[in-house]
Amino acid sequence: MSITKLYILALYLVAIICSTLFIVEEHYNIAILLILGNALPGYKLAESLMRKNED
Amino acid sequence: MIDEQIYRRFNHTIAACFVIYFLFPSEILNLQRSYYIVLFWILVISVEMARLTKGIKILGMRDYEKDRIASFVWFASGSCLLLGIYEMGIFPQSLVIATIIMAAYTDPVIGEANKRWGDKNGIICGLVCSFAIYQFIIGVFIYSIIGSIVAVISERPKIKWFDDDLAMQIIPITSLVILNWLNLLPDLVKDGVIIGGGI
Repeated sequence: MSITKLYILALYLVAIICSTLFIVEEHYNIAILLILGNALPGYKLAESLMRKNED
Repeated sequence: MIDEQIYRRFNHTIAACFVIYFLFPSEILNLQRSYYIVLFWILVISVEMARLTKGIKILGMRDYEKDRIASFVWFASGSCLLLGIYEMGIFPQSLVIATIIMAAYTDPVIGEANKRWGDKNGIICGLVCSFAIYQFIIGVFIYSIIGSIVAVISERPKIKWFDDDLAMQIIPITSLVILNWLNLLPDLVKDGVIIGGGI
């Protein structure tokens, strides 16, 4: 696995862990913002990675 | 190839996670948490110095960033500065949280909107995005209005030595704090404390 893919994986983990911690601590407004703000670019990036793998 | 534009956008929005700092305990490994801001900043600067001096190629860099400070350094510096000033007791917590998340999301939103619908709509999208974030976190209308307008204005000038990633954090929060000091803005809810203590 290339360094870039590992780095991207780490980014996804950071987003998931941070959002989860804010939910656990009942700071739902911050958690929602973290999830909503990262969902679309995260999804698009995953899509672009999948497309690359299909090619 | 990975779509570098989307990769850049994701790197930008993920920076909102800097606010996790407020969930850190006050001491980590017998070191005050504020020291970790400095350590993190030194790490970022070291990576940037290695990139500039050794010509290391990092995915997602724009061509013009080849021989000048990259935007991730500006953003990280801005966030570290905000967190540091918060630790000095100058910036209120809610404004720091809202401003970091706002800067992480609004810049890519403006970029995408500019590309798809033109400059004018880019400004409108930026205003809506930044206003919504300020309102969602701070919950005081006047702060959201002023913060969003100042943030979008700060994004406009393209200056080589003062990137919009830094400007969009420093200028809005400084404006809001100064207006608050001058009693031109109402007090923040719970004095701006959203997160009482770390984990």
